[in-house]
Parts: sequence; C-alpha cells; structure tokens
Amino acid sequence: MKSYDLFDLASRNLRNSKLRNSLTTVGIAVGVASLVAMLSLGIGLQSMATSRIRKSGVFDIVFVTSKQDVRGMRARMQDTDEANARVLDDAARKELEQLPNVAEVTPDIHVVAEVGYGDKSRMTVVAGLPMSEGTTDAFDKLQGKFFSNNDADEAVLEEDFAKRLDPNPANLLGKEIVLRYAERQQGDAGASDSQGTGGGFSVTRKEQTLTVVGINSEEPFTGGGPGAHGQVYIPIGTAERLNMMQPFDARAMVRGDVTGKTYNMLRVRVRDSGQVEQVQNAIKKMGFAAFSVIDALNGLRRFFAIFDAFLGIFGSLALAVASLAIINTLVMAVLERRREIGIMKALGASDIDVKKLFFAEAAVMGIVGGAAGVLFGWLMGRIINFGTGLYMTRMKMAHVDVWYVPWWLIVGAIGFSVLVSLIAGLYPAARAAKLDPIQALRYE
Amino acid sequence: MEAANDGRVAVQLSSVTRHYQMGASVIRAVDDISLAISRDEFVALLGASGSGKSTLLNLIAGLDRPTSGAIVVNGRDLSAMASEELARYRRETVGMIFQSFNLVASMSLAENVELPMRFAETPKDGRAERIRQALERVHLGGRLHHRPSELSGGEQQRGAIARALVNNPTLLLADEPTGNLDSRTGNEIMELLREVNASGVTVVMVTHEQALADKYAQRAIHMADGKLVEQAEVRQ
Ligand SMILES: Nc1ncnc2c1ncn2[C@@H]1O[C@H](COP(=O)(O)OP(=O)(O)OP(=O)(O)O)[C@@H](O)[C@H]1O
Ligand SMILES: [Mg+2]
Repeated sequence: MKSYDLFDLASRNLRNSKLRNSLTTVGIAVGVASLVAMLSLGIGLQSMATSRIRKSGVFDIVFVTSKQDVRGMRARMQDTDEANARVLDDAARKELEQLPNVAEVTPDIHVVAEVGYGDKSRMTVVAGLPMSEGTTDAFDKLQGKFFSNNDADEAVLEEDFAKRLDPNPANLLGKEIVLRYAERQQGDAGASDSQGTGGGFSVTRKEQTLTVVGINSEEPFTGGGPGAHGQVYIPIGTAERLNMMQPFDARAMVRGDVTGKTYNMLRVRVRDSGQVEQVQNAIKKMGFAAFSVIDALNGLRRFFAIFDAFLGIFGSLALAVASLAIINTLVMAVLERRREIGIMKALGASDIDVKKLFFAEAAVMGIVGGAAGVLFGWLMGRIINFGTGLYMTRMKMAHVDVWYVPWWLIVGAIGFSVLVSLIAGLYPAARAAKLDPIQALRYE
Repeated sequence: MEAANDGRVAVQLSSVTRHYQMGASVIRAVDDISLAISRDEFVALLGASGSGKSTLLNLIAGLDRPTSGAIVVNGRDLSAMASEELARYRRETVGMIFQSFNLVASMSLAENVELPMRFAETPKDGRAERIRQALERVHLGGRLHHRPSELSGGEQQRGAIARALVNNPTLLLADEPTGNLDSRTGNEIMELLREVNASGVTVVMVTHEQALADKYAQRAIHMADGKLVEQAEVRQ
C-alpha cells in the first residue's frame, strides 16, 4: 500500500472513533508536554548557570594551590608524600610566570577587615584584584572608574556593601574610607634569617585610607570557595603591599609549618583562553593543584547531564502512561474492526499492509499528540518565563529565561512521541496482522 | 492433473484436503478433492450445510491453505506462495463476494470500491473514473456517496460486486451471494453474475439453491462431507 493511502485510511479510521482517539491523543500530548517542560527547565537552568560563569570573564584564568593545602591534612594522616608537596612560595610564583603563554601571576588575597566611613564601621571581605580584571564583563556596570594603577590607594565597592555605608551609593564616589586590618609581620628574627624555621610571624592592627573610585553592581568571579566574593576591592599591588593577614596564614601557623612567605592561591592569567588546558597541565606537572573555569564548566555539564536525565525520566513517565492508552485504544480498535480487517484481507491486503495501517494510526496519534504536546509545553514555558520575569524585575534582578525550548527539543519530542506510539502499536498491529480472515468474516 | 498445463484450465485442484484438528478428532472439511475449472466457466458448488463448500471456496481464494494437495490457478501453485504473494494473488486475480455483502460500514460506496485499488497501489488519478465505471456496471452510478446502511440488500450486493471487479480479476468467487436476498433481488444478482461471466470472468458460486444452479451455472458440483459426490453438466 502506498503511504498516502495508508495515512488516508489511518486518519479516517481515527476519525471514526473521534472521542476515544482524541482522548488518547490528548494523553500523548500531556506526556510530551511534561517531557518538554522538564527538559527545557533543565536546559534553561543550565544555560543560566553557564552564562553566569561565562559572563565573569575568567575563562583565561587558572587557579593554583599547593596540593598540601588541598589534601595536606589527609595526606599527613596517611603518611603519603603529598604531605611533602611543593609549597606555593615566591620561587613557585616566579616559575609560574616563566611558563609559556602565561600573561600574569597574581596572588589571591581575601581578608576579613573593617571598613570605616564617617562614624560607621562595617566588617566585610576585602579582595585584591589585578588591573586586568577591570576589562572583564564583571565590571560592565561599574559606576565611576576602575583603579588608576596597581598600587593606588583606591577601592571599588560592591553596591550591596556600599548601601550599608550610604543609602545612596553614588555619594561615596571620591570619598575616603578607612580600612582596618591585621598586618602579618614576617618572623621578627630579622631579614637575615627570613628562611628561619619555626620563626612564625606576628600580627599588628593597621589602618589604610582608601579613596572610593567605583561602585560595582555585579560580582566578579574570584575563584570560588566560601567567602570567596569580596565586597571591597583594592588593587592587588596595594593588597600585597599591605601584607594583610589571611585566614590561610592562621591555619599555616597553627599547623606549624610556616617556612617563609607562601601563598594560599595564585591566579595565573593565560594569554588566550584556548591555552588554558595546556597551561593547567603544565602547572599540574610542576606539582601543584590547578583549577580553571573550564573544569567548573565540565563539572557543571556533567551535573546537568545527570540532572537532565532525571528530569527526562520523570517527564517520560506521563508518556509511558500515554503509551498504555495507545495500546488499549488500538487493541480495542482491532477487536471492533475484526470484520473490516477480514474484508481488507479478502480484498487483497497483505498481513504487512494491515500491520502498517495500525502503525500508521499509532503514528498519526503520535505526531498529532507530539505536536500538541510541544505547543502545550512551550506555552507553559512562556507562562513560567513571564512569571519569573515579573518576579525578577520586582526583585531588581536581571531578567533571565529559566525556561528554554531549543528547536532540537521540539523535533526530538515529536520524534520521541512517534517512536513511543509506534512501539505501543507493535502489539495491536501484530494482533491485527495475524487475524484469520475466515474467522473474521464468518457471519455472526 | 491431466489438465494442469491446458491453457483452458483456470483452476486445478489435485487431491486437496483441509482438515481441522478439534481436540482428539479431525474434521475433514475438504477431503481429497480433485477438480478442474475452465476459463470463462460458471460453476455452482452445491451441498448441505457443513459439507465444506465455503472451505473449498476460501482455499481457491487463497484466504486459507490446504492441509495437503495442490491448488493451481492460471498455472501458479498457491501452496508454493508466500503470504505476501498470496495477498497479491487475491488482489490481482480474485474478486470475492459474500452472503452478508461485507461492505465496510463506515465507508461510502465509492470508498468501498476504492479499497481494492488502494491495496493494488493503483495510481490515484485513474481511480475516480474506475469507481464510476464499476458502479455504473452494477447500475449504482447515482449512489456513489451513499453509506451501506442507506442501501437495500440487493444494492449492497451489487456494490460488493462492483468492488470485487474493480481490479479486473479473472476469477470471481461468490459464497451464497443471494442467501440474504429475496428471490427477485437474488435473480437480479444472478443476472449480473451471468453478465460478468459473459465478459470473460470465471465464476465459482456456492449456493444452497439447486434452482439457481440449474438456471445460471454451466456446471453444478455437489459436495457432501468434504467430498465431491456428483458433477453434472447443467446445459449445453
Ligand atoms: N475453523 C474451523 N475449525 C473447526 N472446524 C471448522 C472450521 N471451519 C469450518 N469447520 C468445519 O468444517 C466443515 C465445513 O464447513 P464449511 O463452512 O465449509 O461448510 P459449508 O458447506 O460452507 O456450510 P454452510 O452451507 O452452512 O455455509 C464444518 O463441519 C465446519 O464445522
Ligand atoms: Mg458456507
């Protein structure tokens, strides 16, 4: 039988029991809609998450830490050589700077400090930023300007924090704030014995006056970890000069293995984001732990692959139920149309023709149900986007579509719906095909 | 067997049996029948209820397969055919009509007549014309879009004949075509079958009525308990 005859017969058969077949088709549509809903939610969340990272403009940065810090404690207990892993000191920093394709190596400095403005003082996290950070998307929405140079006594404030100092943050531009922090002073034995073992260091309370040059409304990505985000940014050169004590220093001191100035973490900026992986590998070969946003993206991708699979499975449940409805509908159709099937065979329809006819009926239900389901799922997504959009505008957040239906999902969902329908049609079609025409035609 | 290669023979049955296994007992619905039917012949199959007439007709129609024996139609052995080929044989060589008409209730007369052309993959363009011709031939030219439920029994059977003939078969098999009709309408149908036969189609008709066989058939074949009992040349 030619396919236009097949689909013509199939659709007229479907129209003959309109109510039953429409209900089954609606069942498929609901199944497909739930699948589309689940998957597009997953895709929307994923693109939201990755675009946040992408926006931060740190694709070209590799974060380097000593393996000792990552696994030092455990290694020490298990007495492996990780306990003797390389420390991240000035020599290591120089070596990193010498690596090919490395543009810049700066320490990661995050400290808890107090900021005074007028008669107010607030605890906050102060972070050092290299000058190169000023050109990333993170400072797109900067009011005022970025630091004038790497050693300037200047600060950029996060808008949230600025509001705690002055309800109208713009007022702060050009004003002075006082930074009160703990200064770390290297072993008092003197410069002659800077390698001194067990020399330790002392801590003094210090103050530094800074001029507010910018207010930023978006957070730059500075490496992750708790408290990683600063609220007050100062040039990294200034941060190094101030010699602020970091939480890491206290830990190192308690551990008792302070052997001079070491870094908690170094940020290695790569000339081109295409070389990140290569530089990362070179650093790992040097014996350090290296981490980049590429890793984060890969991890995120893996997470979302699993997340999407789960959403897909839940979304498919409704479609599985719908497939039972298809089986039921078609088995009933076979029983009702016994005589008709007998007639068709007597008129020269082959078993395969009969089988194809029932498959075509299943396929038509799959296509119509799939298309309606995609439309339904898409509408649902529009409504959810509209709703979250309203909420986000009210919360003064940037608008993001949490719901995203890519074209391949539309095609895939309809294809999947047809596939499921065809599988559901297997049994009824086989049953119709092997119906004995003589029995079917025997008059009742 | 002796007539197998004779170009005049349309249907050749050689020791054909069709047994049904019912538990421990075997029902011999058709029991060792050998028979030759010539081209253009009009044969009536007579016999009591349960004598195996329908079973024999279905075997010739290729709807059923014999337990043993050979059925050769137009030189081709049906028992050697795969089920696909047998379906092709049914749509190209055979037309069938039944006691209960068996039009598809949800389809108009024209759609019923179109059905065999769909299976035969007849191009779409020529179909409407062939439907019209087939229905005019049975005097139903004005009833194309009527449903079977809107037609009388005789009209339904004429529609069924149009459907059976639309693919130009060489063999028309009729299982008690007048069984559900009054005698006047039955005679109309028989007249039609006679015309069909005159146009060169071999007709094999199952009937209970000796009178119809006497009047329309060239040969009457009597069956009892699955066997041939008597063959009579009706006329000429
Ligand atoms: N599927 C079957 N299973 C078992 N026995 C069957 C089957 N089909 C037919 N028979 C038996 O085969 C015999 C012949 O049946 P058939 O229908 O050919 O008779 P018939 O001559 O056409 O009778 P009628 O004039 O009543 O139509 C009957 O005894 C019937 O019970
Ligand atoms: Mg019978």
